[in-house]
Amino acid sequence: MISPETLVFGVLAALGLISMVATFMAVLERDLLKAVLFSAVQSTAYAFMFYILMAPDILLVYVPVAVGLYPAVILFLIKKTERFEGGEEE
Amino acid sequence: MRRAYKYAVLTAMIVSTLALALAASAGGLGYALPFPAVRNLAYWYLRTTYNPFMPKFTASAPEAVTAIVWDYRGLDTLFETSVFFLAIIASMALMRGIEVRAPESINLSKYGMSAIVKTVTRITVAIILAASASIALHGQLTPGGGFQGGATAAVAPLVIIVIFSLYFAVGSGIKKKSMLTLRTLGLLGIGVTSFAVIVAGLILGKAAYVFQNQPKEAAPIGLPSHILGVPMGGTLLLFNIFEFLAVAAGFTIVFLLLSVPEESVRKVLEGGEGHD
Repeated sequence: MISPETLVFGVLAALGLISMVATFMAVLERDLLKAVLFSAVQSTAYAFMFYILMAPDILLVYVPVAVGLYPAVILFLIKKTERFEGGEEE
Repeated sequence: MRRAYKYAVLTAMIVSTLALALAASAGGLGYALPFPAVRNLAYWYLRTTYNPFMPKFTASAPEAVTAIVWDYRGLDTLFETSVFFLAIIASMALMRGIEVRAPESINLSKYGMSAIVKTVTRITVAIILAASASIALHGQLTPGGGFQGGATAAVAPLVIIVIFSLYFAVGSGIKKKSMLTLRTLGLLGIGVTSFAVIVAGLILGKAAYVFQNQPKEAAPIGLPSHILGVPMGGTLLLFNIFEFLAVAAGFTIVFLLLSVPEESVRKVLEGGEGHD
């Protein structure tokens, strides 16, 4: 039988891993639009972690900023510049 | 080859993260909790934040985080707000000379997304605004506060700009000038609130501090802690309302400036000083 504490820490670890993988993909992704989406996945995982760690004040500011405002700024910038990152070929 | 390298790096990162987490949870970093001397401060905040039996020390707000942000550590937050305001001012200075206005005789229904998306957005914008107002106005009772509510409210004009087009937003009153007025109003309110108690003290002939909220030992004056039996936290409610206005309007100005079509402002951007 798994104790509730272990379960909570397990969920936290899973969310941490999801955010780590999403950050990795966002850094490597050439298509900046997809990179913004990966970044949003990372933010969502962080939002759940803040909730589990009992920091609702941070959660309430993190959700609109990291899922709404920040991707919007980046999307506006992508629209004004280029969607694909240049550089060497694969 | 490159793909294999990528997956190898990713696997190594996952393994090292798990190893670090295991080491930390097995006590590899020493004490899991801070030292007791540090926790005394937290005990003090939690004991005094809403405590009618210690009227000289309480902030009279059940929400300890808001009480710390705007009462115990109010000056920190004041300077944070000024940093945010300076960032907005700097971005407006970079884009000076750009007028956000709709062209004459424009058919708004041709712009933006489909009717389905627009109808759904009309409903969600109302929900977003209601939720943000409740986050900001209940800031002294439940988690949330001015910045949280303002950031949430700023999503509403953003959604309107993206779904309905910039011209619809400008036509329905989300203008650079009106947003700047709201923003200035919010900051003025924050300034006035921080001096409210000291001005009242001058009039009533009592000693008071800048940024004072509830009566203190040598300064027996403060804003009302309860209105109709509901804890209002004195200055906390006012700070939350004004910060809400300032943050929401500040973010909206940035989005208005960012969403202006490049073609219409190219002349201004290339024209050196940017005047005229």
